[in-house]
Amino acid sequence: MTTSLKAQTRNDLLMVLLLVSAGFLMYHLNIFPVKNVFFNQLMMFPIILTTNKSRRFIWAIPIIIGLILILVQPIFSTFGVSVTDDLFRLILLMVVILMVALLVERIEKVRSLRSLNERLKKQTKMLEDANDELEAFAYSVSHDLRVPLRAIDGFSRIIVEDYQDKLDEEGIRLLNIVRENTHKMGQLIDDILMLSRAGRQEMKMSDIDMEDLVKTVYNQVIQGFEGRSIELKVDSLPQAYGDRALLTQVVSNLLSNSVKFTSQREKGVIEVGYQNDKNENIYYVKDNGAGFDMKYVNKLFGLFQRLHSPEEFEGTGVGLSIVQRIIRRHEGRVWGEGEVDKGATIYFTLPKK
Amino acid sequence: MDEIDILLVEDNPTDAELTMRALKRKNLVNKLVWVKDGAEALDLIFAKGEYSNRNVENLPRLILLDLRMPKVDGLEVLQTIKADERTRKIPVVVLTSSKEDRDIVESYELGVNSYVSKPVEFDEFIDAVSTLGFYWMLINNPPE
Repeated sequence: MTTSLKAQTRNDLLMVLLLVSAGFLMYHLNIFPVKNVFFNQLMMFPIILTTNKSRRFIWAIPIIIGLILILVQPIFSTFGVSVTDDLFRLILLMVVILMVALLVERIEKVRSLRSLNERLKKQTKMLEDANDELEAFAYSVSHDLRVPLRAIDGFSRIIVEDYQDKLDEEGIRLLNIVRENTHKMGQLIDDILMLSRAGRQEMKMSDIDMEDLVKTVYNQVIQGFEGRSIELKVDSLPQAYGDRALLTQVVSNLLSNSVKFTSQREKGVIEVGYQNDKNENIYYVKDNGAGFDMKYVNKLFGLFQRLHSPEEFEGTGVGLSIVQRIIRRHEGRVWGEGEVDKGATIYFTLPKK
Repeated sequence: MDEIDILLVEDNPTDAELTMRALKRKNLVNKLVWVKDGAEALDLIFAKGEYSNRNVENLPRLILLDLRMPKVDGLEVLQTIKADERTRKIPVVVLTSSKEDRDIVESYELGVNSYVSKPVEFDEFIDAVSTLGFYWMLINNPPE
């Protein structure tokens, strides 16, 4: 037994400290010699543990003790108190034991992470299956619900055509109610399908000239309303980055709404504008139509939610749900502002490219 | 029933009746034959099974084809017709309730001549079917 620290032991200690600080540096500078996540996780685990709040102290204790002992050893020696190599060896051993214990824990964690990953994969698969089923369902709806509907509409019309002389006015009125309702149901089926398609259709992203899109879509939407007096104002709009077909649907739904809800105005005014923001483009469609009460604003985008009676305005309550779904798929936001009899503004944002 | 103008392949009797009613407006139902599924359609076209007495040379001038049918569906019928040297020139119009993109794409990949989704509205339906019948039977020039 010697009274001073052996060179060998001191080297051991220094080596450990050097390794730890090298690892610490690599971890913080994000330089890893091997590009394998698992390997690096194992290599770096003591450093990760020292930087992990709850673990920091456990790990630091032996190092701090080691450092103190190296520093105070000469002082102890001057007072004639011996700090033996055995004590340093003990500390080193503690460090090693701690490292092994933590390593085992780390491996356990990685293993449980892997099993979690497995479960996640299984769940993803289940979700995909459910999605496929839903798609098959939508397909079936599109086909199978239309067939009987066409028969109802067609044959009630045939009765009106072929048996007109045998039917009185009331009979014809009743048959027309049948037809009106088939029309509504057909509309509902089409809208639900569009909603389902808006959610699952693959997105093909490209730059879109929004001004051009708005004008083109407006010309389609306005067909059949030639008698109405409507003014369309389009601000200069920045290009959007998104799926053309889906954004056409958004603009079409918003403009159709504005055309519909301004139908009781002598002159409808529809304004498509833009507000700049740091990370996103904010577009809006504003009209001077029937508007809505802000206390129902939370129902604005709800599926089948309507803020007007069918006598006032026709509709299925799906249009804005489709808008919301499409904009959310583009990682944008939608919201609305309105006032009864003054008009409504629907805003939507699209992230800048 | 050797000579056939239009072969209507349609499993749903009400849709078939509406289709024939529409074609009647253009006087196109005199030599129309209606079969109820894809298997029967192929038997008729290739003179097999219950149609083995038919003269196979007499091909329909136009085939109106539904997609979703029992036994052999429309896409299989389309594929068989377009794969066979004898029948590939017959114009085939898919007339279906489906508006699904994949049906449209697949039909065109198999060589369909036209794809029409049946409108739910009676007037639109009558209009679409009589127009397409008139176009393919009277305006279009088929190869000899």
